[in-house]
Amino acid sequence: MSAIAVDRLSHVYAGAEGGVPALEDITIGVEAGKFVVIVGPSGCGKTSLLMMLAGLRHQTEGTILCAGKPISEPDPERVGVVFQEASLFPWLTALDNVEFPLALRGAPRDDRRRRAEEMLSLVGLDGFGGRYPHELSGGMKQRVSIARGLVQDPPVLLMDEPFAALDEQTRMTMGHELLRIWSTTRKTVVFITHSLTEAVYLADEVLVMSARPGRIIDRIEVTLPRPRTYEMMATDTFGQLRERIWQQIRKAP
Amino acid sequence: MSQAQIVAFRLALLAAVAAAWQLLPSSGIVDARLLPPLGDVLAMLGQLLGRSQVHEAIVVTASEVVLAFVIAVPLGAAIGVLAAENEYFGEIFKPMLFYVFSVPKSIFLPMFILIFGIGFQQKVAYAAFSTVFIVIMSATAAVESVKADHVLVARSCGATRTQILLRIYVPSMMPVLLETLRISMIFNFTGVMIAEMYASRTGIGHLIANWGENFQMPQLFAGVILLATVAILFNEVVRHLEARFSTWRT
Amino acid sequence: MRWPKPSTVRWGLLVALLVFWEVMPSTKIIPELFLPSLSKTLTVLWIDRVEYAEALVVTLYEVGVAMVIACGAGILTGAVVGGIATLRNIMLPVFSSLYAVPIVILYPIFTAWFGIGSESKIAFAGIYGFFPVMLSTAAGIRTIDPQYLLAARSMGATLVQQITRVIIPASIPTVLTGLRLGGALTIIGVVVSEMLTASAGIGYLVSRYRTILDSPHVFAAILMILVLSIMFDLLARTVERHTLVWQTAGRRERGAPTAQASTLPAPAPV
Repeated sequence: MSAIAVDRLSHVYAGAEGGVPALEDITIGVEAGKFVVIVGPSGCGKTSLLMMLAGLRHQTEGTILCAGKPISEPDPERVGVVFQEASLFPWLTALDNVEFPLALRGAPRDDRRRRAEEMLSLVGLDGFGGRYPHELSGGMKQRVSIARGLVQDPPVLLMDEPFAALDEQTRMTMGHELLRIWSTTRKTVVFITHSLTEAVYLADEVLVMSARPGRIIDRIEVTLPRPRTYEMMATDTFGQLRERIWQQIRKAP
Repeated sequence: MSQAQIVAFRLALLAAVAAAWQLLPSSGIVDARLLPPLGDVLAMLGQLLGRSQVHEAIVVTASEVVLAFVIAVPLGAAIGVLAAENEYFGEIFKPMLFYVFSVPKSIFLPMFILIFGIGFQQKVAYAAFSTVFIVIMSATAAVESVKADHVLVARSCGATRTQILLRIYVPSMMPVLLETLRISMIFNFTGVMIAEMYASRTGIGHLIANWGENFQMPQLFAGVILLATVAILFNEVVRHLEARFSTWRT
Repeated sequence: MRWPKPSTVRWGLLVALLVFWEVMPSTKIIPELFLPSLSKTLTVLWIDRVEYAEALVVTLYEVGVAMVIACGAGILTGAVVGGIATLRNIMLPVFSSLYAVPIVILYPIFTAWFGIGSESKIAFAGIYGFFPVMLSTAAGIRTIDPQYLLAARSMGATLVQQITRVIIPASIPTVLTGLRLGGALTIIGVVVSEMLTASAGIGYLVSRYRTILDSPHVFAAILMILVLSIMFDLLARTVERHTLVWQTAGRRERGAPTAQASTLPAPAPV
């Protein structure tokens, strides 16, 4: 059974003349423990698709199954979400931010504190729990977001361009860190990005979407061995994979 | 919701208020001595506008408003620009201005009366005094709203100081300037009203205070409607201009 | 020559002002009717301390009740208007049009309705303080970054949890600013209305002594109001600073309400 199974999903935005088709006939299966990256031109509906996987938005047609059960509303025990910047609550410390999902369900204070500290330690932020978001760098903030996404130990982690606002060097480091965290937790990850390099570097499989209405136009298996290293980016295989994705996006209507 | 619907809702709201104002007192639910029906008030307003005593009061109030405005705006603008452009002067005065701003200006009104008596000068002086601080603050904000990048680009194109002033500062500040004028006018008008209501023998504010003391409710409400209408109309006209000048603003 | 530090100059100016206040009247350069000297003002204040204290109690009572009304009604209305888009589109422009009307012209209506006792002051000052609180609460709720709500929903927050754990904390900064402005305005409103028509309170003392040209007593009352309003401002700012530890480093967070300054109304006149 796949961790995520999307079956013939379509979405139409309400509007004049029957609405605007945003997503069309999307069928995806993601095996448990896989790292899948979705790339596509701006406005192709990647983020909409992710919102639907998270249960934050409802598709017009088709079904989404997560571990065999349909997703219709947010369920943080099954699916964790990491957003772009700014989704950490500025009025809470890093630790309180990570605890937030546990606090929502009324978990005992000691348990959630211990759990949140474990998570901060996992993302390499030991000792930073008392800081407020404005006291953290961009990369550190995204580490906190990842910790928050993982705190309820959901089998699936959805990431919506989490590193888009970071500078190039921090972005590379964060990609590497994410792979480390992923290899210790073995989550199923669906990751959205604009960066082709990031896509190839991170993914087991890259899904390429077309411009609106978004459809899946290609699936590319990334055969590079794990653990990935920075040196691999200079290899021919890496370059060819990157080129193939670029060709697909470029010719996408 | 479309713009037309919003306007329709607002008109409906206005009509509802007007209807309530007419019906509640005339049906006796509300004491008509405390709230005269809208119809009576409007009739009274028509009458008042025909009286020479009211004409004189309007002329006095209007000239006070204009004169105080003409004094306060250039003075405040000069200080404000200085505070924004001269770093040293700004560092000294800006924190002080914030304190001065939190202090009620009206408590100094007795001082103006002690110095100028209760005539025209006192009202103009007090209104100008109560307006000048908001002009200083807004002028500072207006100058600081000019983007350093734009000035840099202009200088790299070889613009002279005059060119930078005319082609960068003036257009950048235009929408803020109009807003400044509008807000200053609100302060100025309020200043004149308070001065007239507090101690004066002429002016609309004096009439309103007098009608209130003598319990002449139709006159009082007519005066309030007149002043509110003038204030709102002025405000809306300038806001309309602001919107036209700031289409390029993000 | 090196210029002295701006803060030094500021303290210097304050001292100079106090010296000026003392020296100019006592040397008769400025007539005592216009400005009685600082020492004389303070002496008068001390001699008649009972009268001033009684007036202060009346004023503080009116300010207290008016603040509760202004803040309570302001926050409630602001939350409703700010939270419901349709209502906001209809009402916010109406409120900013009404803002142009000098509210003080309504005061004679209140004295006619409620008499010249505390009720008319409370009604007037309550309305005076209501608007900034309402407008800034509405602005605070409107400028909340939708990402925060999305994130909370993704973590399974219920509607009530979204309100208590996201909307309320996120709008606290703007609401507090509104409370500071609104509080200052209720003080002003009470004092102005006491000056206009009253039989008790500090504002009343200002007017009563003004009519008998007793300048030292007028200035003693003015001084008290000055101290009262500055103390309120300092207190409110301290509360803001302590509540908003998470904002101390400025507003670099994208979601923080940076638009605040432009969305808030300018502090009302008077």
